[in-house]
Amino acid sequence: MGYVVAGYSIVLSILFLYGVQLAWRRRRLTRAVERVAASEVGHDGQAGGR
Amino acid sequence: MSPNQGVHPAPVQSPRARLTVRVVGIAAAVGVALTVWLGLWVTPPDQVQGNLVRLVYLHPGVAWVALYLAFGLAAVASLLYLWPRTRSLFWDRLAAAAVEVGVVFNVCTLISGSIWGKPTWGVYWAWDARLTSTAVLLVLFLGYLALRRVPAEPEVRAKRSAFVALFASVDVPIVHFSVLWWKTLHQGATVLNPDLSPTIHGSMAWTLLLSFVALSLVFVWMLLVRYRIGVLEDWLGSGELDVALRERQAEGMIDDEDEAA
Repeated sequence: MGYVVAGYSIVLSILFLYGVQLAWRRRRLTRAVERVAASEVGHDGQAGGR
Repeated sequence: MSPNQGVHPAPVQSPRARLTVRVVGIAAAVGVALTVWLGLWVTPPDQVQGNLVRLVYLHPGVAWVALYLAFGLAAVASLLYLWPRTRSLFWDRLAAAAVEVGVVFNVCTLISGSIWGKPTWGVYWAWDARLTSTAVLLVLFLGYLALRRVPAEPEVRAKRSAFVALFASVDVPIVHFSVLWWKTLHQGATVLNPDLSPTIHGSMAWTLLLSFVALSLVFVWMLLVRYRIGVLEDWLGSGELDVALRERQAEGMIDDEDEAA
């Protein structure tokens, strides 16, 4: 049964960690895009005022 | 003017798309939890393999996802990218997402297979046709991912990646038929055998089926998230490229002004 537990633990851990890493990457990139989009709005406001 | 303004609008995900990803994620987590519960506690031990049969609720499922769903999808998407009528970076991003997720499942296939092999065959690894062709598949698609990291225009990168994906996908049928073409340690197919008559029954068969569904849902969730990452990376990447080009143009204008002065 030790091999069975080891197999489940290792495979599910790899899938879980990869899933967490994907969610983290998506969150980080979403925030970066929001920051860039917000700075564009700022630039537009400045350009419009000139 | 900021880099992406007027060129590409910021990629906003619709509430429906966000909900879909969330629902698929929850369904996948519930499916995997059910599979583990049925596989470890409910199903009986096998007459021949004993408790080792419980690894069968994991190993074929991850192999199914890696070989047929992930790398199969990568091959189809790459073909659709190369076909002039359907050429779109959508297919390139889909293929890239499928390959990355497929590589993770391929690693899981090799690990779970090795853990099953040690008590069954006496060794973690044998240079058996099925095992070797699966390892070759992993190396080929790792090469695909490495190639994608080589700096290039998106269209150039997409085209050469598609060719490599198609080349690597030739190994998928070799892996599948290896147990029929050569004498291997690895057992033949339990479900997808030439007669299409499953050699597993009762609660074991249902648990095996559930594992296929649950791991397929895990794949779909990972694919959707990874695809979204590709969209965001491309958008930010195109912005960085525009900034670099404008900086070069600005430098050129300053040089011209200096020469004129």
